[in-house]
Amino acid sequence: MAQFVQLVVNGLTLGSLYALIALGYSLVYGVLKLLNFAHGEVYMIGSFIGYGVLQVLGGSASPSVPVGILLPLLMLVAALGAGLVGVAIERFAYRPLRQSPRIAPLVSALGTSFFLQATMLLVVGARIVRYESEKLIDVSSGIHAGVLNISVMRMMVIGVSAVVMIGLNIFMKRSKLGKAMRATSYDPEAAQMMGMDVNRVVMVTFFLGSALAGVAGVMSGLVYNRVFHTMGFVAGLKGFTASVVGGIGSIQGAMAGGLIIGFAESFAQGYVSTTFYDVVVFVVLIGFLLTRPRGLFGVPELKKV
Amino acid sequence: MEIDPFLRFYCENIPHRPGSAEPKTTTTIVYLKGEIMTKGRIAATLLAITLAATACGSSKKTVTAGATTAAPAASATTAAPAATTAAPAATTAAKAAPCSAKIGFMGPFTGDAASIGQEQLNWGKLGLADYNKANGTDFAFVETDTKLDPAEATTGAQKLVSDNSVVAILGPAGSQEVEAVGPAMTAANLAYVSPSATRTSLTAGKLPSFARVVPNDDAQGPTVAKFIAEKIAAKKVLIIDDQTSYSTGLADSATAAFKTLNVTVARESIAQKSTDFSSLVSKVTDDTGAVFLPWQLAANAQQLGTQLKEQGKKAVVVGSDGVYSPKDFSLEGAYVTSFAPDVRGVASAAAVVAAYQKAYDDKFGTFGPPVYVAAQLLATAVKTTCKDGKPGARADVTAAMKKVKLDNTILGGPVALDDKGDVVGAKFYLSQVKGGKYTLVA
Repeated sequence: MAQFVQLVVNGLTLGSLYALIALGYSLVYGVLKLLNFAHGEVYMIGSFIGYGVLQVLGGSASPSVPVGILLPLLMLVAALGAGLVGVAIERFAYRPLRQSPRIAPLVSALGTSFFLQATMLLVVGARIVRYESEKLIDVSSGIHAGVLNISVMRMMVIGVSAVVMIGLNIFMKRSKLGKAMRATSYDPEAAQMMGMDVNRVVMVTFFLGSALAGVAGVMSGLVYNRVFHTMGFVAGLKGFTASVVGGIGSIQGAMAGGLIIGFAESFAQGYVSTTFYDVVVFVVLIGFLLTRPRGLFGVPELKKV
Repeated sequence: MEIDPFLRFYCENIPHRPGSAEPKTTTTIVYLKGEIMTKGRIAATLLAITLAATACGSSKKTVTAGATTAAPAASATTAAPAATTAAPAATTAAKAAPCSAKIGFMGPFTGDAASIGQEQLNWGKLGLADYNKANGTDFAFVETDTKLDPAEATTGAQKLVSDNSVVAILGPAGSQEVEAVGPAMTAANLAYVSPSATRTSLTAGKLPSFARVVPNDDAQGPTVAKFIAEKIAAKKVLIIDDQTSYSTGLADSATAAFKTLNVTVARESIAQKSTDFSSLVSKVTDDTGAVFLPWQLAANAQQLGTQLKEQGKKAVVVGSDGVYSPKDFSLEGAYVTSFAPDVRGVASAAAVVAAYQKAYDDKFGTFGPPVYVAAQLLATAVKTTCKDGKPGARADVTAAMKKVKLDNTILGGPVALDDKGDVVGAKFYLSQVKGGKYTLVA
């Protein structure tokens, strides 16, 4: 029982992060029908930006600002930084190829991914660095009642993800920009004819998706501590899987998919094998694709014959 | 147990390709397993190392310290107090002319492992200077930079072999280098003592003139098992490997050792690049007394320990020598092994440590002090062959080396070699983390 409860907590934490990453894939795919494979790298850069800000502010052992201000600050700066990286990627790697066949931006995305990894290797080196978040907030703080162990950091990760996702949902439904994004997704040419600046909409989409990845990167650093230049690869793959399971292009789908992958991973580690848990995760993906190719919340694509 | 401490250091510093669980240098090790490398293998090795080095090199500044660096070296000779561990007093040499000889010194003085190489260089210089002072000898090093590269080491070894005035060699540092220089050394019957190569196979008989002053990898599993069973008094132990050859090998040898001590062992395994260890940690049962981590990345061990605490688990964490890193691994109360002790905590080393700190700095780890001992060992061997101020033939020095006994060394015990070239009764050391510092406990 204790283990089960713990695995639920772990799955929820991991799933929240995957959901945030999955949202970036879904937003971009929804608008451009493009798989942004450099997205995992944006998450990694966000994590490093958070680490950098933390060091500038005195490090975890003796931060120069109170923890209550520090954590939101890390996330804000990382969101901004990662968002700008995302915008730059779109401007230089995808926009010139927007009219080319779909394989071209895909290759460009992979190239960008390696470029960003190598750049971070140059800038920060290959060593794994640690946020040392246990010095910010003691890991034994939080709720420890009976079988339930949930640290303050984990509560924060789950809470912040929930708030961000609800906020994004409202933004997409209510705001003018959100509507413009949905319109562009539905029919970019018609949207342009209606007087929408498609380039601007695409830019905002990339900024939003990348900012979410930046926040996820910082939270990953805070709860899992270790940051390194290749961390984005697997995280990106899982986020992508999550968005496919949820139905790529759908925002609710990305959230649900993230949680499913998070739970699958934590239960597979706890009850099956810590060696082969990734196999379980991708079996879930294959199972979903076989039985429901469009994912949980995906809409089947209508084609005129 | 294929990766020696040097490569482990190296592995932590080279880039990993996405999706591959093991660092790239592992390829190198596979290439180096052979006894004598074929040309193709050498080429492949060079390529692998160049690739790794190019990638690492760009991320770190290459230290361009030449062989004759360290300005403080001169002061070391004057400032160093008489070593407490001075080898046999010079009673016979008092009348005759001082014995004068050259000893080769191979180490990674530049390149990616330069921080370790420079530490080794400084400790070696101090060791030889102390020996000269205490024994009235006139021994000098011929320094050769290997860059932790078997190809460089081979070239360097050939140079030293062809220099007839060189009668013994200190080094090289890495196990892969020792294997590479083996044929040249064996042909010349030239004694060489490594201060840091731990690969077990090196002393299996193929390298007759080789010896080392550090334990081989086989000693680690039993050392850890004995400590956990007796000092931590754990009845049940969880061993988690990190899916590298170093880790699984060490985990296997520890598992076998635990069985002989009647300790129940559970095994788990997790990839180095896994994001989250908390689900693995949830499997640690309440009756598990200790978790042994034969890992290469200290930051990972730190994270796993933190998550144990987060989930209220009481098991004690014991890390292998790959985790030894006061900067990255500082779990209060945890234990960590090392192939040499931190000599700051060894009583008999106090005077030497003070001299070193005065001449150089306090930034040394476990790689330097064994070099001091290796220098003593070789100098002692050369001196016993000395006649009329001249050293004996290389073969004589090699024979003498195997008989040297140092009664007390800065590593905290006597050093004598068995017929294979391993230190008799060599063991790994265990330190405990107390107040963020490592304290030697066994």
